[in-house]
Amino acid sequence: MNLIDQIKALKEEALRLIDKAVDLEKLNSVRVEFLGKKGKLKAILKTLGKLSPEERKQVGQLANTVKEELEERIKQKEEELKKQALAEELKKNKVDITLPHSWIEVGSAHPVISTMFEIVETFVAMGFSVAQGPEVEKEAYNFDMLNIPPDHPARDMQDTFFINKEGYVLRTHTSPVQIRAMLTQKPPISIVAPGRVYRKDADPTHSPMFHQIEGLLVDEGITFRDLKGILKIFLETTFGKDIPIRFRPSYFPFTEPSAEVDIGCTVCKGSGCRVCKDTGWLEILGCGMVDPNVFDAVGIDWERYTGFAFGLGVERIAMLKYQINDIRLLFDNNMKFNHQFKGIR
Amino acid sequence: MKVPYSWLKEFVDIQVSPQEVADRLNETGIEAVAYPFGERIENIVVGKILSVGKHPERDKLLVCKVSDGEREYQIITGATNVFPNGKVVLAKEGAVIQGKTIKPVKFGSLQSEGMLLSLEELGIGEDAEGILILPDEVKEGEDPNKLLGLGEDWIIEIEITPNRGDALSVKGLAREVGAVFGLKKRDKKPSVEIPQDDSIKIQVLTDKAYRYRGVIIQGVEIKPSPFDIQLKLIKAGQKPINNVVDITNYILLEEGQPLHAFDLDKIEGEVVVREAKEGEKVITLDGEERSLKQGDIVIADSKKVIAIAGIIGADNTKVDSNTRNILLEGAVFDNIQVRKTAKRLGITTESSYRFERGVDIQNLPNAQDRAVELILQTATGKATGYKDIYTKPYIPKEITLREKTTKRVLGIDIPKEEAKELLERLEIPTEITEGGTVSKIPAFRSLDLEREIDLVEEVGRLKGLNKLSETYPKIPTQAFRKSDEFNFDRRTRDFFKDIGFDEVVSYTFVDEEIYSILGLPVPPIRIKNYLLKIQSIMRDNLAVSLIKTLQYNLRFQNRDLKIFEISSTFFEDYEEIRLGLLATGKINRGFDFTKGETQYSTTQNWDFLKIKGAVESYLKMLGLDGVKYTQIDLPYINPYEGAKVSVNGVEVGYVGRIHPEKAEMLEIPKDTYIAELKLRCVGRTLNNQECGSDYLFNLWKNKDTVVFQELPKFPAVKRSLAFEVDEDLQVDKLLEAVKNFSPKIEAVELFDIYYLDENRKSVAVSVLFRDKEKSLSDEEVNQLVEQLVKDLQNRFNLKLRT
Repeated sequence: MNLIDQIKALKEEALRLIDKAVDLEKLNSVRVEFLGKKGKLKAILKTLGKLSPEERKQVGQLANTVKEELEERIKQKEEELKKQALAEELKKNKVDITLPHSWIEVGSAHPVISTMFEIVETFVAMGFSVAQGPEVEKEAYNFDMLNIPPDHPARDMQDTFFINKEGYVLRTHTSPVQIRAMLTQKPPISIVAPGRVYRKDADPTHSPMFHQIEGLLVDEGITFRDLKGILKIFLETTFGKDIPIRFRPSYFPFTEPSAEVDIGCTVCKGSGCRVCKDTGWLEILGCGMVDPNVFDAVGIDWERYTGFAFGLGVERIAMLKYQINDIRLLFDNNMKFNHQFKGIR
Repeated sequence: MKVPYSWLKEFVDIQVSPQEVADRLNETGIEAVAYPFGERIENIVVGKILSVGKHPERDKLLVCKVSDGEREYQIITGATNVFPNGKVVLAKEGAVIQGKTIKPVKFGSLQSEGMLLSLEELGIGEDAEGILILPDEVKEGEDPNKLLGLGEDWIIEIEITPNRGDALSVKGLAREVGAVFGLKKRDKKPSVEIPQDDSIKIQVLTDKAYRYRGVIIQGVEIKPSPFDIQLKLIKAGQKPINNVVDITNYILLEEGQPLHAFDLDKIEGEVVVREAKEGEKVITLDGEERSLKQGDIVIADSKKVIAIAGIIGADNTKVDSNTRNILLEGAVFDNIQVRKTAKRLGITTESSYRFERGVDIQNLPNAQDRAVELILQTATGKATGYKDIYTKPYIPKEITLREKTTKRVLGIDIPKEEAKELLERLEIPTEITEGGTVSKIPAFRSLDLEREIDLVEEVGRLKGLNKLSETYPKIPTQAFRKSDEFNFDRRTRDFFKDIGFDEVVSYTFVDEEIYSILGLPVPPIRIKNYLLKIQSIMRDNLAVSLIKTLQYNLRFQNRDLKIFEISSTFFEDYEEIRLGLLATGKINRGFDFTKGETQYSTTQNWDFLKIKGAVESYLKMLGLDGVKYTQIDLPYINPYEGAKVSVNGVEVGYVGRIHPEKAEMLEIPKDTYIAELKLRCVGRTLNNQECGSDYLFNLWKNKDTVVFQELPKFPAVKRSLAFEVDEDLQVDKLLEAVKNFSPKIEAVELFDIYYLDENRKSVAVSVLFRDKEKSLSDEEVNQLVEQLVKDLQNRFNLKLRT
């Protein structure tokens, strides 16, 4: 067999072995066997000297081509094997992608605070500022300056908690924040005041502590129709575009005219159910035009300015929204309750 | 108040359905519902009791023989007010009473063939005491459905707002209904003639009785009222008693005028309306002994108090079956005084309820004489005279209503002609003037209608507030203030929610006990008239509430808790809004697959550094640096695993682990961690002067804005150094000393601590050196390290470990 045939045979053998190699180690031994310093190809080339220059050139060229071919082939195989090895490695370390995650769980929002913030943001978006006041409030701000004199039957509407601090009570509503705002700012005034309030009352629909949001807009030219406009925006934002709204004249000492606002029952859509006591309507907030006596108390000229005020109970809205049937659940803080509210804001 | 529709119709010709009346009343300001009076019941009949005997075996039951005119029934009853010849409603076999079908039932050896019905069982009253006794003139065999009008008449039940005392009567409601529907109300005028007799011994010694009118009626015969009067009272939800008492109640309901009948023969000497003496005692009609105070108004004779004015009569002059002569009182008392006294005594009567809300002083004689007329008709007798003490007759107040005011408040034009028409529908005499109207306010609205705005409301509500179209005001931009506090609270809330804490809302009032367990002084603000003793202290920290929440959850096997609350704590002069955190048990759940073939559960538990991390990340989120932790001294926090937290020298809260002793007493896990941060302060003065500025909100609001720093141009060199130091050296101090040593030290990072022996530990840090102007050479860094170590050795008992 001449050298050319030998090289060709060597190539065939090498290719066969490369193909057969099952891992990098085997492949490497093939490389050493054929292409190494003491490899088979080198061995053949050592006999090159015996040949004529012509033949030498021919054989040399062939040997080089074969070398390159084999190297290329080994490289290819190497990549293949690496890929394979990696795939195996990955497979070996596979994850059950359905295992529970080990990151922290996101926390839950409290439905009342969530509802309160959402409502406040609706008014903030309309341009109202957020105001605040203390929960231990001056009796004068909670009652007298809101046109609720001592011994007025309206004080019966709100059963008050008295404290060991003369002249102060736990505020029974957020309305005193109106007084604070009007005593510290000159009109125009536009505020919403969210906060905790207290009344001596406890049953499935009443809690001795609950949350209210108060709103007040005082400026020249503010009318009852403006009040209706602002509340309509709020109610539609909160309960949906087509929610029926009804204004019923009512009485609050600090507004005149006063109204209760009802919305169409969100549970039965007006056909009558237990939630709306078969009336088809739900009482949702109280409102009215600021009473001139209140303006007098804070030194605003009623002949020049008018204003409207409204107040709403946050728990009621939260309970409607999430169909919660007992107000006490809101303040028990049983995590089995709270965890139901992870997805809300 | 329950107003039978048929009674209302005596005053106003209303043709629409009761439901429509109720709907329209709701729309114009009086809450009303309409429902049928009872429901037709089959198989009931008027029965006459023939005999009453004892049950031979059951001593609480009676055996009655009852005839319905056709046959006799044996009825066993537990009622005690049955008597021979009494007329009753008999439910026979097949009648459905409160959902149950009547069948013959055996009580012991005797069979009961039906049931005698009470008002409650008839579905028309709440009084289940005793069965309904019908008047004698009713014949056995008659149909009780027809007799009582079951399912035929309607009840309109109204609830008034405190300003609408004028609507608290059939007549008053008729006036309102008339106004709403544009109908004229009818009045009932008495035709009785009573001579004025100023010799009647009545004196008024207080200015809180605005009018006092007494009528003497002699020779009355006390007996049950005629059936039609009884039935009206039943429909209105009242219990008939006897003719005289029933008629005072009847007039109260119909005219809104409370009346009181005294047994004249029990009055000793002169009747005086006066202030009570301090501590004066009286037994009232309900059998209670009442103690009076100065300021209370009483009716008294020469010897005793005979009534608490406007509230309740005394037992000592009560009308009973032997009464022959009566003094019928009609009066108007000061509404505020009646309210004060009634509230203090804890009594609400139909009478006090009306006096508190205002009674029509002009209508008094009319109402009282109607009562006299009815008494004379039903109890015979003779009205021998009246005395009317009315020193300051009512003068109607004149109120001007300007067209422009209506426009300014309601946003619509109501021409003065229309305003006049609307007000006159309410029986308010009104004249047109320049630019508006002038009204003379009748007494029945005198408490409610005092100002122009009150008339705006009247025209507005009759016009229908619901019908006004909406307008959209410009929200005044000059009033717009940044709502920083709200935004701050919102960011805080979002942060803790997003890092896995559950938001809770707890009661701000707690019990004293938890304070004593925690070893804390009781806070300053307490509720005097608390509902529950355990809800009587206004908390001054959030830990008490968070611990309570934990205890509550442990009862439901919720052992892994990470909760937060942003809420108020209460101090003598101000309130602090705080953030409270409580964490215990597992911090997360899940699996780790990197540890070879086994996949481990990797839940981590809370520890001090984790809760501290939550606090510190929050402060970072707010952009606050300069956080320091120092020795804590709180009785419920483990002093070796807790710290006070301060930001730039301002103490803002604490973080730590519950003291194990307290954990045991509270029965909560020992690995409970609590943190509290003072967010902001709400003062009780208008300018919050009592608050100071040591709060996170203030620090946040006043912090420096971020200013961009040039990025480094030259490479940094990192060196790891290990120091041997005293065991009790706080690492923070060492790190700070390293960091502050040279401006060329960019960062220091702790990577290892281990304890060499009881007294010494090794602290390894990596230090990043960088010069802003050039690349640092190895030599320069070596030199810096050398100087650094020297400096540290001057400060601490420190050795560099090699």
